[in-house]
Amino acid sequence: MEGFAIFFAGVDIGSTMTKVVILDKDRGIRARVIGPTGAEHRRLANRVMEEALKKAALSFDEISYVVATGYGRINVPFADRQITELSCHAKGVASFFPNVRTALDIGGQDAKGLKIRNGELVDFVMNDKCAAGTGRFLEVLADTLGLRVEELGSISAKSKNRVRISNTCTVFVQVEVVTRLSEGVPLEDIVAGVHDAIASRAVNMLRRLKIEPDVVFTGGVAKNIGVVKAVKEHLGYDVLVPEEPLLSGAIGAALIGQELTLKAMAKGESLPRKERRLEEASFFS
Amino acid sequence: MEEKGKGLARAIEIYKDRPRRAKELKAEGKQIIGYFCLYPVLEMMTALDLVPYRILGDMGEPITKADACLPTIVCPFIRSALDLGLKGKYDFLDGLAMCHSCEVGEKSAHIWRTYLNPTYFHFIDTPHTVHKAAQGQFKEQLKDFKKTLEKFTGKELSVAKLKEAIKAHNEQRALVRELYDLRKLDPPLISGTETIQVMVASVSIPVKEGSDLLRQVIRDVKERKNGPQKKRARLLIWGSIIDNVALIEMIESAGANVAMDDICVGSRAYFADVKLTKDPLDGLAYRYLVDIKCPRTFREATYGETQKDYLADLEGRFGYLKDYAREWNVNGVILQSLRYCDIHGYEVPGLRDYLNHVGLPNTYIEWNYSEAALAPLRTRVEAFLEVNG
Repeated sequence: MEGFAIFFAGVDIGSTMTKVVILDKDRGIRARVIGPTGAEHRRLANRVMEEALKKAALSFDEISYVVATGYGRINVPFADRQITELSCHAKGVASFFPNVRTALDIGGQDAKGLKIRNGELVDFVMNDKCAAGTGRFLEVLADTLGLRVEELGSISAKSKNRVRISNTCTVFVQVEVVTRLSEGVPLEDIVAGVHDAIASRAVNMLRRLKIEPDVVFTGGVAKNIGVVKAVKEHLGYDVLVPEEPLLSGAIGAALIGQELTLKAMAKGESLPRKERRLEEASFFS
Repeated sequence: MEEKGKGLARAIEIYKDRPRRAKELKAEGKQIIGYFCLYPVLEMMTALDLVPYRILGDMGEPITKADACLPTIVCPFIRSALDLGLKGKYDFLDGLAMCHSCEVGEKSAHIWRTYLNPTYFHFIDTPHTVHKAAQGQFKEQLKDFKKTLEKFTGKELSVAKLKEAIKAHNEQRALVRELYDLRKLDPPLISGTETIQVMVASVSIPVKEGSDLLRQVIRDVKERKNGPQKKRARLLIWGSIIDNVALIEMIESAGANVAMDDICVGSRAYFADVKLTKDPLDGLAYRYLVDIKCPRTFREATYGETQKDYLADLEGRFGYLKDYAREWNVNGVILQSLRYCDIHGYEVPGLRDYLNHVGLPNTYIEWNYSEAALAPLRTRVEAFLEVNG
């Protein structure tokens, strides 16, 4: 079929951010959209897809396969398939770093550890019960310290004597941090301590998978150079961070879509797909 | 709404309104004894014409009263059951037979006694090991249980009556095993969800009624045309008590057939019969203490053995699961435990090592005894199914 199997879309609706990626058949990124998920994500999916199509200068019909992932994946009515973010992240991360065997993803409200062999997910561990090991922890602490989340990394780089945070609960860490501030502890040392705390939690979770290099770190929190440094220290391994740490899920989703399509084509089978129509998700769709 | 056979429909009816039959029997003059866990010997109650009624929780009832009497680190199941008791939902019971199930079960038994003040209350101090001495200890406990039951009913618990009760309960166990055999087929003739409904129904009614129900269910599932669909994944579910369909429903809807279980509401209560011994208490003590496979009973230590080979130890503790997996053609295991369930939580690392060693894919989920909190667990189950194709 002419013009078929050329473009693939991955839609990753995370608890904090929604990411859409359109890939071409050579895995080049034709378009990317990243935006906050918010409470309206049921209606968000088609708007974000429209934006991506506009950026890609493509019509929806030209997309061969759409895979939705992330915790909001059930709210993407136009997705041809829904696949968990665990499988999609593994695929995405392996496409950036083919030798990856362990991946850590820290998002807005959860943290995941992935064990990957030959580019495929073989085991996983998740934390989605406690804010303390997630991006939310950094948001809350930044707010408490009167800083923006984006500044945390560069500020912690100045630290000479990192503080040791004793509490494990986000709320109690806030109190501890304010106490330290009032004691006159330098801001950069406190921020470095906060980074150390989140890294420690993340690595402890990861240890349940028996860590092996190459280790890759993704998710919004991977953009924070202070956390990356702390994770390396706790792991004892070097840690690879992709250029676009937020996109591994969406890219992985699109890649799985490509794989499924090519497999079906090789077998001469047709792959069931949804109608190429962008509509608001209604509660009964 | 699909048509269910008479047995399955009746099981669902009982599952949805458990106390109803017990209350009917009470109105007819029967006495209902509520029991916790699997160690209060059912035969001893049945023999005296009492109706044993298993105390369970209610996932749909928000816990309000129990928090005032329990510390934080108490599993939500025990918490829920006590909450129902404090709210009067178990007021139709004539008495309580509790046991040393786990630490929390043991401690909360005393809270039941204090706060609910039942007419009849007996606590069986179940040992945690299976040595000969422990079996002897447990038999002594059962002798005490016999005494208080006789005092409460004003009747003698004769050897003849006890043997009859043992036969009746063994008959029910055999029927459950017959039903479970139908889960070996592909697809299983009864789903994991339906199995929970039938099992929960059976512990809410007298033994003979339970056996009749099981016979009808077996007929239903053999005859019907709209049973479970064939699915690639045939799973065994292991762990803490599951007294509600929500968890297994979620797992099955994620794309699997739960073909076998190792939980107390399921196989653990029915897979071993009581041997008819000269003194029936010997057979009862053995079957209840030694044959019930719950990790609250420790099997690691053997007299005279000061060292243990790790794999040999795992094989001794978990080898039966390999047999279950083979007989029920299981290709994956879901380990689940309730939050704060130490009994099962502590087994997880060893069990996962064992399952990895024998090549059975497995994953572990911890859940909160709440339907709302099942969504993130669904992601884990789906990912597990994706990984294992």
